Amino acid sequence: MFRYFLRRAALTLPTFVALMFVTFVAIRMVPGDPVEVRTGERGISPERLAQFRHELGLDQPIWKQFVDYVWGILHGDFGTSLVTNEKVLTEFATLFPATIELSLAAMLFAVVIGVPAGTIAAVKRGSPFDHTVMGASVIGFSMPIFWWGLLLIMLVSERWGLTPVSGRLDLIKYYFEPTTGFLLIDSLMSGQDGAFLSALHHLVLPTIVLGTIPLAVIARITRSSMLEVLNEDYVRTARAKGLSPMRVIGLHALRNALIPVITSIGLQIGTLLAGAVLTETIFSWPGVGKWLIEGIGRRDYPALQGGIMLISSIVIFVNLGVDVLYGAINPRLRHGH
Amino acid sequence: MKRTLTTSAATLLAMIALGVGAAQAKTLVYCSEGSPENFTPALNTTGTTFDAARPVFNQLVEFERGTTTVVPGLAEKWDVSADGKTITFHLRKGVKWHSGINGFKPTRDFNADDVLFSFNRQWKEDHPYHKISGGKYDYFADMEMPTLLDSIEKKDDYTVVMKLKEANAPILANLAMDFGTIQSAEYAEMLQKAGKLEQFDQIPVGTGPFQFVAYQKDAVIRYKAFPGYWGEKAKLDDLVFAITPDPTARLAKLKKGECHVMIAPRPADLAEIKADANLNLMSAPGLNIAYWAFNLTKPPMDNKKVRQAFAAAIDKAAILKEVYQGAGQSAKNLIPPTIWSWNDKVEDYKYDPEAAKKLIAESGVATPIKIDLWWMPVQRPYNPNAKRIAEMMQADLAKIGVTAELKSYEWGEYRKRMQAGEHITGQLGWTGDNGDPDNFFFLIGCNAEGKPAGQNLSKWCNKDFNDKLAKARTLSDLKERTKLYEEMQAIAREDVPQFTIAHSVVFEPTRKEVVGWKISPFGRHEFHGVDLK
Repeated sequence: MFRYFLRRAALTLPTFVALMFVTFVAIRMVPGDPVEVRTGERGISPERLAQFRHELGLDQPIWKQFVDYVWGILHGDFGTSLVTNEKVLTEFATLFPATIELSLAAMLFAVVIGVPAGTIAAVKRGSPFDHTVMGASVIGFSMPIFWWGLLLIMLVSERWGLTPVSGRLDLIKYYFEPTTGFLLIDSLMSGQDGAFLSALHHLVLPTIVLGTIPLAVIARITRSSMLEVLNEDYVRTARAKGLSPMRVIGLHALRNALIPVITSIGLQIGTLLAGAVLTETIFSWPGVGKWLIEGIGRRDYPALQGGIMLISSIVIFVNLGVDVLYGAINPRLRHGH
Repeated sequence: MKRTLTTSAATLLAMIALGVGAAQAKTLVYCSEGSPENFTPALNTTGTTFDAARPVFNQLVEFERGTTTVVPGLAEKWDVSADGKTITFHLRKGVKWHSGINGFKPTRDFNADDVLFSFNRQWKEDHPYHKISGGKYDYFADMEMPTLLDSIEKKDDYTVVMKLKEANAPILANLAMDFGTIQSAEYAEMLQKAGKLEQFDQIPVGTGPFQFVAYQKDAVIRYKAFPGYWGEKAKLDDLVFAITPDPTARLAKLKKGECHVMIAPRPADLAEIKADANLNLMSAPGLNIAYWAFNLTKPPMDNKKVRQAFAAAIDKAAILKEVYQGAGQSAKNLIPPTIWSWNDKVEDYKYDPEAAKKLIAESGVATPIKIDLWWMPVQRPYNPNAKRIAEMMQADLAKIGVTAELKSYEWGEYRKRMQAGEHITGQLGWTGDNGDPDNFFFLIGCNAEGKPAGQNLSKWCNKDFNDKLAKARTLSDLKERTKLYEEMQAIAREDVPQFTIAHSVVFEPTRKEVVGWKISPFGRHEFHGVDLK
């Protein structure tokens, strides 16, 4: 088992190297540099431009910049933001809890609705409910996030007044210093009446927007996996034994059908984080997504490189974790097949 | 028993007072656009960052809110020497620094040391704070302070003497800009001793009407009224910046009452805002200009008749109607009508393709004429859609037999190439920094050797114009300066180094309960003096 883990871990190394290289090069291929984008109509004199480029190390040969960057990362130094002069790791750590909070909520939303919907659709295959779920999931999967977010804001918040428009908390009523960065926890710790509910209330729309695509995927996978399992011999046996349909589906079929669903949840971490970039921008959600978008506009190389590396590492580790877990569950994988 | 009663009564009173206080606490929420880079204006160039620092700070001289008029700030008054080279600032006494922020307890009031600290940090490379937080003092450099300043000295605790290498009338307006913000030397010293210099720019201590409370990146900035403020106390108790980057979300928040004031509505939303009974929509002409520069170093733009023909060939009214959609006013001078010395007597070129054709024929330039026409790839405050304007100009030029090839580059590259003079004709614009006419006319000015400055995209050096520009800089008499600037506008009209397109109109929606809101010609968002009913 340990050898399997080592082998899988070693395989992620080339991924990391490729990732470092790609982020580094891609950002530099975007025209304009961090010094120039700061200046307005006035532009910048060539002397000042040269001086600042020198101070930021941008006049170094590109390979040297890359080596320095890799060397920094190997020493846990992700650099300093060119815009705020804060350590990239510090900024990331401040903003990441908001992204996790939103992503977890979205995943929970997707699972809690998607699994039952998919299951019922499979059991009642061909029924109007099945057609509705499948139709809705196609729409959900192909929904442009930005459009969907704005539509919900206009309808749910503005027209019907059911939820706040954006942000994480009612800023007029509540104020406390963040301790964990997870506002649901911080609001409880603050002891302020109603703060938790306000935080929860603010989470509703972004959760729906970010959770829509995973919801569609999970509903579909649950359905197809369930259909397969329902045709298995052991399910027929269970039925023949006279077990109640609830017991057959809930206990025997669903448990086995969930395995591919869990795999897809692991794989969707990437989708979630990508979706978070847009969702956070629409809902003024102070997470890493919004931060990266601004970093692009300002050509904040260290923030972008560091931020993308950190997010990608998380995706890679989650997938590694899922792989290893599989190995533990399924010995066939462990032995190299 | 009596004592218990008294205590209970006191408690009750206190509770009522607290309860009432809490109910009456006036909190204004402003939906801003983005996070500030830090809270030291001198280090930055963006309006977002200036807006976030402004509640906390003062300058020696300031712009009266909603105007471009320079009024006393931390300097109560000032004297300018006869030769215009020495300015003596008499500082206000009894000005308190915010206390208790980041553990800082000021032991003294504001004085000359703070003024010296604030300017020397930007000016002197050996200053302990010069390199902190990136150490780029763009405005200090752009307003040519390093070449202009001879010395800044403290005469006594409340007198500062600023000596210039040459007389410069716009300098007072320059000092009212955000880079002229005065920060606490004592606070800087405290942080230096603690080895936490970078906190100086992140946790601001100022003398302003509001004091800093907290900042959560990309989420919120909080301030509260400073009870010890030297001027009129803030009417609000708390001020909150809700950072909301998306304009649609900002408007939705404003309509729902989640914020009271918002920045930058989308032009498409203006009609909806006007129709909303809960909202006010204020508008004011922007302190800016969109222009189309003719490069005089390249034929055929070196020919005055061709330039005049182009000016007559473009249907400006159509551009205003289609591109600005009501959010712009026609520009006939380089400065907008809100700036003093704007010359109303200047007559704009009339749209007349026939007259334009005649001028081309008179010019003697061989036809067909081929030019390039650059458009900037980004939206600017003064120009919502440079590409569309370029297309409309292209069509107008075709009518007089001129073929214009449209061209564009990445924004940084665009400015660099235009400044290098690679274009034949190209669009750009300008947003005023300080409301002084010089801050616009220098754009088409040349240096003493008759070489165009970098900003001079027409590469136009007119001796008469430049002599007047240089002379106006040295005069402190407003009347004399006005006369010179008026004459300069007439020269520019006749010689057409550029085609002035439009000044944009700025719109600012607020909720009806906001009282005393003033639109700033500089696009500032200022909350001192604003109230909620």
